[in-house]
Formats: sequence, C-alpha cells, structure tokens
Amino acid sequence: MRSPALAIGWEFRRRHRWGLIAVAGYLFAVAAIRFLILEPGEPVLVDSVRFAAVVSVPLTTTFVYLLAVFSFGFSGDLAARHSMYPARMFTLPVTNAALVGWPMLYGTAAMAILWLAARLFAVWPSGIEIPLIWPALLAAALLAWTQALTWMPYGLPGIRLIVAVLCLAALDTVVLLAIHFKAGEPRMVAILAPQVPLAYLVARFAVARARRGEVPDWRGVFGRLASNAVRTRRRDHFPSPARAQAWFEWRRHGLSLPALVGLLLPFELALLWLAKDAPAFVFEILFLALITPPFMAAFTAWTVSQPNPQVRDSYGVPPFIATRPLTSAELIAAKLKMAMWSTLAAWLLVLVAMPLALEWSGTWSVVTERARHMNDAIGTPRAATVVLLMLAGFIVATWKQLVQSLHIGLTGREWIVKGSVLLTLTFLILLGPIVEWIIDSPSVQRALWNALPLILAGLVGLKMSAAAWIATRLDRNRLLGDRALVAGAACWVLAVFALYGVLVWFFSTPFVAHYLLALIAILAVPLARISAAPLALAWNRHR
Amino acid sequence: MSESVISVSELTRRFGATTALDSVSVSLPHGAVYGLVGANGAGKTTLIRHILGLLRAESGSVRVFGLDPVADPVAVLSRIGYLSEENDLPGWMRVDELIRYTSAFYPKWDDAYAEELQRAFALDPAAKIKDLSRGQKARAGLLIALAHRPELLVLDEPSSGLDPIVRRDILGAVIRTIADEGRTVLFSSHLLDEVEQVADHVTMISHGRIVLSAPLDAIKESHRSLNEAFIAHVGSAATPAAEA
Repeated sequence: MRSPALAIGWEFRRRHRWGLIAVAGYLFAVAAIRFLILEPGEPVLVDSVRFAAVVSVPLTTTFVYLLAVFSFGFSGDLAARHSMYPARMFTLPVTNAALVGWPMLYGTAAMAILWLAARLFAVWPSGIEIPLIWPALLAAALLAWTQALTWMPYGLPGIRLIVAVLCLAALDTVVLLAIHFKAGEPRMVAILAPQVPLAYLVARFAVARARRGEVPDWRGVFGRLASNAVRTRRRDHFPSPARAQAWFEWRRHGLSLPALVGLLLPFELALLWLAKDAPAFVFEILFLALITPPFMAAFTAWTVSQPNPQVRDSYGVPPFIATRPLTSAELIAAKLKMAMWSTLAAWLLVLVAMPLALEWSGTWSVVTERARHMNDAIGTPRAATVVLLMLAGFIVATWKQLVQSLHIGLTGREWIVKGSVLLTLTFLILLGPIVEWIIDSPSVQRALWNALPLILAGLVGLKMSAAAWIATRLDRNRLLGDRALVAGAACWVLAVFALYGVLVWFFSTPFVAHYLLALIAILAVPLARISAAPLALAWNRHR
Repeated sequence: MSESVISVSELTRRFGATTALDSVSVSLPHGAVYGLVGANGAGKTTLIRHILGLLRAESGSVRVFGLDPVADPVAVLSRIGYLSEENDLPGWMRVDELIRYTSAFYPKWDDAYAEELQRAFALDPAAKIKDLSRGQKARAGLLIALAHRPELLVLDEPSSGLDPIVRRDILGAVIRTIADEGRTVLFSSHLLDEVEQVADHVTMISHGRIVLSAPLDAIKESHRSLNEAFIAHVGSAATPAAEA
C-alpha cells in the first residue's frame, strides 16, 4: 500500500467492511428480484407499503449510513467545537488536498453509485418517471457539504449541528423548489454539479484550519458569565446520593429527547399553515407531532442504555460510575427518573407548541369542530377519557421507549447488543409483509381472532415467568431488598388494576370479554424488561 | 497488627487463554502504604479491579474491610478513595459540579479539605473537565479521591496522569499524611523509584503471580535496591522514574 489514496480508502473499507458488505448484499438482492424473478417488460404494480419496505427505507438508511461513514461521523463529536476530522490523520505526511480530496471522492462516488444502482436495479412502480442523474448528484452534494460542515472548527459547542441542518435544509429547499417549478434534468444538473467543488473548497479551508489548531473560541463571554455565576452562587449539597445520581443522568441524557423534539416540532407544525382548507391533513399533522416524542425516544434510548457513550467500542461501565457507592438498582432508578423528567419536558414542549400553532395558523376551529362531533357521539365523559387516555398512552409510550432497552444495552456484551439490533431490524423488515398477508387473508384473520385469547394468555404466561425469574435473581443477588420487591410488585398490580378498570368502563360492550381486557392490561404495564435492568447492570459492573 | 483492610486469597482470573491472576494471595493490614509493583500487563490493574468489586472473583476470594466488594458495593466503595488509571471523569462537568456531585456519596466529605486541595492543585471551579490538561484531570481525580478522607486510598498508576510537580511535591506528602493518620494506601506503579520514596511495604507481581511481598526495609536489607530486587524476582529491569 504505497499511496495515501489507497491507505485512506483501505481504512474506510476495513473499518466499515460489514456495513459495506450489507449494502452490497442489499443491492444484489434487489437486482436479483428485478432480473431473476420478474419477467422482462412485466408491468410492476407496487403499493406504497411494499415499496417503502423494499426500496425507500433501506435506501434512506443506507444514505444516512454512508453520510456518517465518509464524514467520520462514527468517531467524531458532533457537539464539540473542534473539527470532526480525525486529528490522528493531521500528522500524516500528505497535503490538505489529499486529506480532503480522497474521503470526498470516495464518499461522493459511493453516494452516486448507491443511487445509480438503486435506480437501475431496484423495482420501481410502473408509470412513474424516475430521473437518473440529478438525484445521484444531489446525494453526492449532500455528502460533500456534510463533510465540509462537520470538518469545520466552530467557536461554540453545538453550533456545528445548527449550521449543518440549516445549510443542508437550504440545499433541499432549492431542489424542492426546482421540482415544484418542474425544472428539467439539465437544469437540475446545472444547479447541483457545482456543489461538490464548492464544498471541496470549504472542506479544504476547514481541514487546513483544524490542522493548524485554529479553533475559534467564542466562549469568552459565556465563560466569564459562568465563572461569575459560580463565584456568586454556591450551590447547596445534594440531599442524597440518589438525587446526585439523578442529576448526573439528567445532565448526561435528559435534554437529548426534548432537544430532538424541539428541533422537529416547528417544521412539523409549520405544515398547519398549508393545511387550512384540508381538515384531514390537519389531523395527520397533529398525529405526526404526537408520535414525534415516542419515535425520537426510540433513538435517544440508544444513548441512555449505553453505559459509556464517550468511549468508542466500549460497552463496559466506566470506573467513575462503577465505583459510585450506590447499588446497581439505585443507578437504574436514577436512569428511570431521568427518563421520566425527559419525557415530561418533551411533552411539555408538544403541549405548549401544538395549541399555539393551531391558534396562529387558524386551524383551531377544525379541531374544536371535530371535538364537538365526538362529544355529541359518545358523550363528554367518554370523549374526555379518550383524549386523556390517548395522551397518557403517548406519554407512557415515550417513557417506555426510553427505558425498555436498558436491559440490553447495560449488559455490556457486544454480542447481545448487536444481536438485539439485528433481531429488531429483522422483525421490522418482516412485519410489513406479515401485516399485509394478514390483511389480505380473511381466513388468517378469523384464525387469529379465534386464537387471540390463547395468544394473549401465552404472552402473559411468558411475561410473568420472566418476571418471576428476574425477581428471584434480584433477591438472590441482593440487588433489591424484600421490601423494595414487594413495593414494586404492589405498584405494578395497582397500575394493572387501574388500567383494567378504565378499559372495562370504556369498553362496556358484550362483544369484548373482561378477561381479554385483563390480559391486555397485564401486557400493557411494563414489568419484566425494566426489572431486568439492574441485573444487566450488575452483570456488567461486576464482570 | 490489626484486622486486614484487604484480604485476597487464592484469586485466579483468566481472560480467554490469558491468565491475568494466578492464585494470588495478599493481606494488607491497616495504616501503611503498600506499593504494588510490576511491569505493564503484570496484573496490577486486574487485582485492583477485584478489590473495587469491578471484577467478580472466578476462584478464590476477595474481602475488603471484611466484606465482599461485589455483594456489598455500597459499604465497601463508600470507604475507598480511588484514582483510576483511565482518568474517565465526565468531560461535560465543571470542576465545582464534579466536587458537588461526588460529595453527595460520602457522608465524611470534608468541604474545607476539598477547597484546600482545589487551591493546592490550582483547579478553576468554572473550568470544564474536558478542557483540563491530562495532569489537571488527574489532579481533579485525586481531589475527589481524597476529600472524603477515605479509610483506604487506591491509586492505580497515578504517575501515568500526574505531572512531575504533583508527583514529587504533593502526592508523596498526601500519601504520608494518610498513612500517619492510620489510614491505608494501596498504589500500583511500574516506577520503582517512586515506590521506593513512599511505600512501607512492596508487593511485586509478574505474569499474574505475586513474586515478592515484604516490607521495604527488609527488601533493602536483602538487596541493594528495589531495582535489584525487581531484577532478581521478575527478571527484567523496571522503568526508571525519569523515563515515565
């Protein structure tokens, strides 16, 4: 390996070989479907769900993955002031042009190949004209700008994310406008082609600055303010170790979810201004805003359940945390508490922003009108209960998303974490076709409906067996005292009874048996996975 | 001598095919400074991680203050001050936040002593940990290990993080003060000169086995220097302090 170009290329290939093999495997699979399974010239009628499962979702995921790979996003700190370009490479005896040029060339080529392969090999719905060149250029331009903006040193922490989001959104807006005005392929190419060389120049400037150690520092003012604040305001001691640990978890992870929700919400609610004359669209936008916290919580949960996110490839508990004089159950309790506060903060944002956006966009009347219809149809108490239950359901789902993978991430075993991700992805990929098969087959639906009590009873049996095993282990390993175990079980039983009561009151119909509602209540209230978290942490903490 | 602070008996630990500790038995009574000496990879950190309860004894037993550190981490860890070789203090915390956070876990936390150490180590309370130099980070780590006046202070390779001034002027003084107050210090190092300056008792470890454990004076009587004893028992020269 005698050239810097080969060495840099080898590093990308070696480090991300499994991901790149998976991408190649995916492209091979879609090509096989198109060329070996479908007859040549056969019209393809692909519905949106199948298309999303086979093309849109994998293609978008691959695009984001390649963005992270070629901008060194897996090893850099997005929130830091210094460049995300690996500092270890600055000492290589190569020019700035080589340091910037080769990763950009490999990245833009990979993006272009990804699009061209997807365009030529994937099954696209018949009757829709899919452009060939400009989307490839767009993908390459987005990558080049991502590289330039993430490799730039900034004066304040967190600025990188804001600048990158704004610049990339601006580029997207230009493209969307061009599509809106029906610009042809040559015009799109004319808009996008200069982006890569422009981004290259910016990236070269960024890497040159970073290489010289020129990181602007605008923290002077904030630093002085903070310093003065520290001098004038002596904070009291924490009243207990548990409060100190909850503060630690809040500072480390608590703001991630509210920040993500806060970033997305304005864009989602801005759509209300476009939906004044389309009531159905208003409710779709509101639903989108409501599922944002639980959806984003699923992403945030990854960092919450990672014991040591600062250290790459480290799944173990860092000694600083492992040597806190707290039990593993107390460390988990702090995480659960932080998740609760984080959930409430995210929902406070949603509940404040949503009425304001409805009022200012003039779509409030659409919602009140629908509420009045609902009131007339089922009565005020039931209508209020439906709304409150839905809201409570969304809030609990957000919290549950944040904490339900703790028992996996905190084990500290790479094979468990990666195996769980693989299983989840496999399940998600299979879910679409299975749901569609069930929808298309009335006989399967009948069989499932008849077997529903048995299925639910089986799941309840599984859950309770797991909970009993976990409780025994918690007791035997002295991770939880008898009183805590009994109190936890009592709380869980109370929650199940409360939910069962609400369900029985709400579904007061002879068509739904009460025992089914009891089984649903037992399954809905979290127990086994959360109880397993202290076991997982103890297994990791005392290896 | 009174009851042992640390009692390790027939401790064996394997990581795959590698035997990190091989039937190690050590007993450390109260009120002395123990130097754990060995080349890199000899098993010093593995032994310390067992003492802290971060590793579970696969065979043999570990008792600290008469307790199992895995079964009873709170009772053991609340009496230990620990400076990690990894220096993994949370970068996002300010120095004053680190002190406030850590003080919550130790009922015997001494605010006046913490302030005294903060001044002695020249640590700015408003500075973020991630903005500190490696030496300053080690000072901050040492501060939180000392300020609750632990019964047992465990320093894992302190020389790898602390700068020469702190090592020479402060660490030695601190260690001696702790020992004079009847508390116990266990520190690991591959620097024999450093160990020779402060230790009362030296334990040499090589390839996971204890090859020598004796009072420093006795070692010096039987060998001309600690370095000579190390060569005699381990078989290769240890790193001189100047090279570290």
